[in-house]
Amino acid sequence: MSRERGINEKLRGGVFHDGLPSIIAAAHELKSPLALVRQLSLMLESGDISDSEAKRMLRQISLTSEKALRLTSDLTRSARLEDAMFNVEPINPQQLCEDIVHELSPLFRAHGRNVQLTQRKHPLLLIANRDLLRRIIMNFSDNALNYAGTDSTVRIQINAINSGKTIRLGVRDYGPALSSDMWRTLRSKLASSPQSVHARPQSSGLGLYIASQFAEAMNGSIGAIRHHDGATFYVDLHASSQLSLL
Amino acid sequence: MKTKVLVVEDDKWLAEQHERVLKTDYEVKVSFSAISAIGDIDDFHPDVIILDVLLAGNTAFTLLNELKSHSDIGSIPIILCTNLASDIEMSDVSHYGVKRILDKSLMEPGDLVGAVRSVT
Repeated sequence: MSRERGINEKLRGGVFHDGLPSIIAAAHELKSPLALVRQLSLMLESGDISDSEAKRMLRQISLTSEKALRLTSDLTRSARLEDAMFNVEPINPQQLCEDIVHELSPLFRAHGRNVQLTQRKHPLLLIANRDLLRRIIMNFSDNALNYAGTDSTVRIQINAINSGKTIRLGVRDYGPALSSDMWRTLRSKLASSPQSVHARPQSSGLGLYIASQFAEAMNGSIGAIRHHDGATFYVDLHASSQLSLL
Repeated sequence: MKTKVLVVEDDKWLAEQHERVLKTDYEVKVSFSAISAIGDIDDFHPDVIILDVLLAGNTAFTLLNELKSHSDIGSIPIILCTNLASDIEMSDVSHYGVKRILDKSLMEPGDLVGAVRSVT
């Protein structure tokens, strides 16, 4: 094994254990936002900051903390998935995604990016648990935010596939293309999830691992599409037949 | 003439923070990926590179290998600034020109200036 490869594997290794996200993976994912919050706080403490700059830094602390808290909440939900009772019901994903866009817009704007929902003329219903589905889309959106180019718009899309039997909710980012090697790794891991899914090098893949767990709990699955200018991460769920009965 | 520092960091707000700390003493440019850093090194001619390890697109090793393969830029001192500092041995990366390893989660803002000063 080359020294470089050894280091890379050491950095990423041990992330998952026995099919469950490890403490190492969680710690790694939480280290980045905590380190940023700490750096900003120390800078603010030093006092040599203009009012406008201080306001901007406080906003960054607030939004970074919210993002980290979402991950801790997802981790808790993921760990209790097998024990917890949750309902699946017909859901209009359009409304749910509009709420997510509304919630995430301040974070995206603060990063110089946008998030939008591609509107549909005809409503679609799917079978899901509202909380788990929301967490999946939030997760994909957080992932897209990290990767989307400056000033670009991340688009949440809802489509019927498989002759209308499946509803696909995708989050499309416009950034650097995934390399072929990275894509092959991602495809093989997504095909056999739930397990470690290294979406992108800077990530331990914990977020996507959790998303795959949530999707599986609703009899769905997650996947990814590679574009020349970014990627789409999606969740496929069963369509509800309720609309056809109306 | 100020020493030029290239910060390679994919977290936009952390990059902004590094720039905030360094800009009083140094001329600073930020690259958000290893690939863009390669172009920025050609244009900016940095005296020091501050490099995160796990970057969007490619890890720092893409950049380190690229730098190592060019005699004219291979001697630029590199400071790794990473949350994975405890997993990296200096002996494993010194041959890439890495002079210092800073732990993002433990360092004080002033440590960045101190590290640059120590390698120039």
